[in-house]
Amino acid sequence: MSILSIENLRKDYGPVQALKGVSFDVPKGTVFGILGPNGSGKTTMLGVIADILRPTTGTYRLFDEVPTAEHRRQIGTFLETPNFYHYLSGEKNLRIAAAIKGRGEKDIPRVLEMVNLTQRKDSRFITYSLGMKQRLAIASCLLGDPEVLILDEPTNGLDPVGIAEIRELIKKLHQEGKTIIMASHLLDEVEKVCSHVAILKKGELVATGDVNEILATEDIVEIGASDVTALRNAITQLAGYSRVNENGRLVQLFYPTGTANLESINQHCFSKGVVLNYLNLKKKSLESKFMELTN
Amino acid sequence: MLKLLKIEWLKIKGYNAFIILSSFFALGVITVNYIVFIVNKNMLSQASTANLVGVFSPYNFDKTWQTTSYAAGWLLLLPALLLIILITNEFTYRTHRQNIIDGWSRQEFIQVKIVMALIAAILSTILVFLTALTFGLFSGSSFSTYGISHVGYFFLKALSYNMIAVLFAVLIRRTGFAIGVFFIYMGLENFISQLLDVWSLKLRRDQDIDLGSMGDYLPMNSADGLLTFPENPLKSMAKAVMPTDYTWIVLGLAIAYLVLFYWWSTNRILKTDL
Repeated sequence: MSILSIENLRKDYGPVQALKGVSFDVPKGTVFGILGPNGSGKTTMLGVIADILRPTTGTYRLFDEVPTAEHRRQIGTFLETPNFYHYLSGEKNLRIAAAIKGRGEKDIPRVLEMVNLTQRKDSRFITYSLGMKQRLAIASCLLGDPEVLILDEPTNGLDPVGIAEIRELIKKLHQEGKTIIMASHLLDEVEKVCSHVAILKKGELVATGDVNEILATEDIVEIGASDVTALRNAITQLAGYSRVNENGRLVQLFYPTGTANLESINQHCFSKGVVLNYLNLKKKSLESKFMELTN
Repeated sequence: MLKLLKIEWLKIKGYNAFIILSSFFALGVITVNYIVFIVNKNMLSQASTANLVGVFSPYNFDKTWQTTSYAAGWLLLLPALLLIILITNEFTYRTHRQNIIDGWSRQEFIQVKIVMALIAAILSTILVFLTALTFGLFSGSSFSTYGISHVGYFFLKALSYNMIAVLFAVLIRRTGFAIGVFFIYMGLENFISQLLDVWSLKLRRDQDIDLGSMGDYLPMNSADGLLTFPENPLKSMAKAVMPTDYTWIVLGLAIAYLVLFYWWSTNRILKTDL
């Protein structure tokens, strides 16, 4: 079953196209990361799903059904900023959220405890620090123990300890079989907690699928020889690499992580009569992969 | 709807502006009428002025409904202001989004605000009814429901003001700005209304065309125009030259404007990005 399926979603703000026909599916039980630089359309997309933005064209489905307010009550959603009544206490704000969701009223002490806000539950929201506001918003999402959570940049404004705690929480919820849809511009956050990923760039879907496939890193072997033509010929008979790239006087061979064998490459070239004057193994970083996908 | 209203109650019950503005309004209605009551009583006790105003006693039964409704009508700005503040707060705190995200439909969000406007109008009408009754009984005349339709006009005015408040809040979203526009609009409408009234007067006098007081055909003034101070000798003298009051036209227009406000504010929430 798909928790969320998006079909050809478009959203224009006047002349600006925030989403240019995005489609993908979020399978049940995944931690689904929506990754993209600032302004790539992540929040716009989640806004459409939460029914606070009207799509220009396109449709989406929740739990394989035409979405209604009833579906939203079954999803804990935290979008963009923590939105609460400033003059009410954290606890009273949660009481309102629980009343709207129609569930989780008795859950309030538990979720406050989970985000370490029990001691400040009677303070007015306006007196909270940015991190506390963020944690209250996450607590509100957890009310009623929903099967699906949508979190937009959940670690924004948190200190390193808070970030680690949220990551642990997401992992724990995943182990309990819950589906989590998480937007982030932080690559390592997605890599650390997500099982699936969709990458957005300027409103377009660049890639979607298993996180290990999409964000797979590669080994790059750089080789050089005085006779570049002979080198080029020699490597055509070489096996195991996925693709070749020429970078100035150097030839780059891309291998799946851990499969490049420098010795055998050297031996192969030598046997073809090419003497290497440069041989180097480079690890490709996740960042460069991300840059490659989004630039 | 009861469930939605309970949630609205959770939002406002500890809110200072709510407590202050609603108590100001309640005290205001009683105080304003009390002042008129006392002033009139003192005037009547002085024989010379008593002759001048005749036996005019505005809080006697069959007048008290109209007097109280008219006097309290001036205070209807307070509930309207309160509604503007409560609704624009949702936009300021972005809780209008959160309410929808958490599982209200857009329809539910705007519907409960309109019902609040209705409840505020009903509560202020009940207050006016009780005030009119009390002052009527204290004036020493015997009970009568004659002229009680003015309490109905008061309700209409209250509802119109509240619905304009809902509309402005939903369209403008920012508290200070919405309140400012509300006042500017009120001033502007009164100005245009007076121009129209003068024109109506001229039409009647110069060309014998009686279109009624056209100033009363505007949104705020239509609900306003029905609430007048009771007939007294001075007013009766002016009546001879004034255009006819077409009560039914003004009443019909007031209701038509209410429908427009309802449609406009609902449409705004249903159709646009929040």
